[in-house]
Amino acid sequence: MQLIQMKRILADVDRCSGCRLCEAVCSFTHENHFGSSTSRITVIKEDGFGFDLPVLCGHCDHCNSMEKCPSKALERNAEGLIFVNEEKCTGCGKCAKACVVGAIKLHPEKFTPLICDLCGGKKSCVEKCPTRALTYTEAKMPQPKLHSKVLKETLRRWGIIV
Amino acid sequence: MSNYFGYAGRILRVNLTKNKIVTKPTEKRLIMEFVGGRGFNSKRLYSEVAADVDALSPENKLMFATGPLVGTAFPLGARFNVSAKSPLTGILGDSNAGGHFAPELKFAGYDQVIIEGRSSKPCYIFVQDQEIRIMDAEHLVAKDVYEATETIKKDLGDRQVQIATTGPAAENFVLYAGIFANLARPAARTGMGTVMASKNLKAIALRGTGNVKIADFKTFWKIAEEVEKETFVHPQYWPRRVMGTTRILSLADKLGILPTRHFTSATFEDAAEVSGERLAREYNVKSRACFSCIVPCSRIYAIREGDYAGLYGEGPEYEALSSFTARVGNSNLNLALKAVDMANKLGLDAISTAECIAWAMELYERGELTKKETDDLELKWGNGEAILELIEKIAHREGFGDLLADGVKIAAEKLGKGKEIAFHVKSLELIQADPRGLKGYGLGYAVSSRGADHLRSEPFLELSDDPEKGMKMFGIPEATLRLAHKGKGKLIRYFENWCAIIDSLEVCKNLAENMELLPLNRAAEITKAVTGFSFTANTMFEIGERIVNLERAFLVREGITRKDDYLPTRFLKEPLPDGNSKGAVFEIEPMLNEYYEERGWDSNGIPKTEKLRKMRLEYVIKDFKRNTIRTSKKKNVEN
Repeated sequence: MQLIQMKRILADVDRCSGCRLCEAVCSFTHENHFGSSTSRITVIKEDGFGFDLPVLCGHCDHCNSMEKCPSKALERNAEGLIFVNEEKCTGCGKCAKACVVGAIKLHPEKFTPLICDLCGGKKSCVEKCPTRALTYTEAKMPQPKLHSKVLKETLRRWGIIV
Repeated sequence: MSNYFGYAGRILRVNLTKNKIVTKPTEKRLIMEFVGGRGFNSKRLYSEVAADVDALSPENKLMFATGPLVGTAFPLGARFNVSAKSPLTGILGDSNAGGHFAPELKFAGYDQVIIEGRSSKPCYIFVQDQEIRIMDAEHLVAKDVYEATETIKKDLGDRQVQIATTGPAAENFVLYAGIFANLARPAARTGMGTVMASKNLKAIALRGTGNVKIADFKTFWKIAEEVEKETFVHPQYWPRRVMGTTRILSLADKLGILPTRHFTSATFEDAAEVSGERLAREYNVKSRACFSCIVPCSRIYAIREGDYAGLYGEGPEYEALSSFTARVGNSNLNLALKAVDMANKLGLDAISTAECIAWAMELYERGELTKKETDDLELKWGNGEAILELIEKIAHREGFGDLLADGVKIAAEKLGKGKEIAFHVKSLELIQADPRGLKGYGLGYAVSSRGADHLRSEPFLELSDDPEKGMKMFGIPEATLRLAHKGKGKLIRYFENWCAIIDSLEVCKNLAENMELLPLNRAAEITKAVTGFSFTANTMFEIGERIVNLERAFLVREGITRKDDYLPTRFLKEPLPDGNSKGAVFEIEPMLNEYYEERGWDSNGIPKTEKLRKMRLEYVIKDFKRNTIRTSKKKNVEN
């Protein structure tokens, strides 16, 4: 299978402080208000371990959500970015369930999936990230990791679990 | 949605006796006079909880409130205040915590939540936007903070729900039990957890899908960027990021203000062993931050070897760390971490717990307390096992722990010993800084509206020991010298008003105040940009002054006067034995006189009518008249 080479936003779980400023900035950039429910990026948090992992659409080569969408509303543009065709979208939410990293949530009013568009290259969240946990780099994304797996690996590396 | 920019625009009232849930719009007058957070709570508490209400009765009201900057991308606003009449002090109870609970409250659509009455059976409240459900909590009874949080998350099938819960200590009515958000974000002072438990309420769980709109985003981003820039080059940025407040431990030791072995010494020989530096070097795993904060000052630690190897968690901060090290004479850092973890799990206030233990230890060391009375515990300085066992006993009110669970004041009264070394002001246990070496802080403890506490004023400027600053700001060079008594009335008035604003905007005191990122003029500018209402530095200062005066009025109504604005006698009579503040004692009377005068209060510490009228607190004047408290003529000065 051919791998898509493009700039993506990557998250470093060791650096992320879990402040969710990215969520606030994202919702402001896209919706002109502050609210985590409308951000394209979500920080998954496990307070017990101090684990914070920002998840967002990685525009993976193989996208489960695209496959599962019954109305084929998720499309990929020439650069490789996945986007939602709002005319086709019925708001069924199957894409959110299908995404292996849980990067998709639905707009609380429109019910369309919220998918990172890299702010057209402006990458607002990366710019504002206070710990530089988010980076904008040329990367391949053939097979993303489940966060349960990331969690285990991370905690092992931190010496919290053996 | 909200009628206002910056605010959620609604106030939620849940009556647990009647199972009644009411939402009302946030009144504009409340906003203009009290801004938010602590201001909202103090105002409502004054209006709705009268002097004859018992703190643990259904008539007491528990309030959660947050401020206009919370939930936005402004880098330092993520806190909430919990207020109620305190079971520990019998007066104003109020505590403040960060984390991610406050923004969720805002996203759910509420500026304030008021909880009234008492549920007939254990319950927790689940707020999901407009849907408020009172859920059964029979299965959460006696669960510790960690278990309760985890169980609720599982029950609701949502990992990202925000929970503030109490622990077993609250259910056993330990008078200084706290409310814990995000596991390790306690609003623990003054026993707010105990009030919550008295309502048969175990926890509050939040999920909000709303948002916060702001009035002027251009100005907002301009100010936010200024703050960001200043933060990243601030000399405190890296120390705070690496050590959080634990960096204070070695600084306090150097200044000779570190309460060691229950304030019998002001330096700790093993300070380096238990310092924030060591914690950062050997234990830290990563940094964590409150919502939208750019200084991740909270840390995850893991004990990799030695005692309690395998223990991990979030924190600790200076107060808790110093509580279970210097204050009780313990130099085993692993043990201190274990103690803090236990206090968090059981839902106790670390400061009050440590004072109770340290008080018992001093009595034991003096030979005034025997093993017979302490359930065979050998309460020698630094006896780790005894400390841990005592924490457990306090939380479950077992044996000797039962005595300590009422706070150090009542414990001393019940035991009939050690009253002079029970370190509290207005029944609230003293924090970890010796007032003899920090005169402004000491005055702050004495007059603070919730008892011995530094966060009502936090006059950090005093630590600069720079007379020029004092001259410039207050016209008195001594005001900013930490060992001088003069000018502190002016200093404390200014800082109290500023802190009231910071608490009401619900921003972080570490950044806003200690790092001087939110002086009054900037506070006014950002609040104006967010809300669209015309706030200025002057109106902000006035709002702060109004809050302080209203809180004082609440205290006066409860019978508090000058005689209660005191410090324990050790600080007034015994000079500091060692360290860089050696020989210092505290002279409270002239400082109180200066402070009252500065405030416009009479010599008995009661706000004068003119002052109250100027603060537009006419209802207080009426109240005072009705209760026949003469506001300006009372003259007997005790103490």
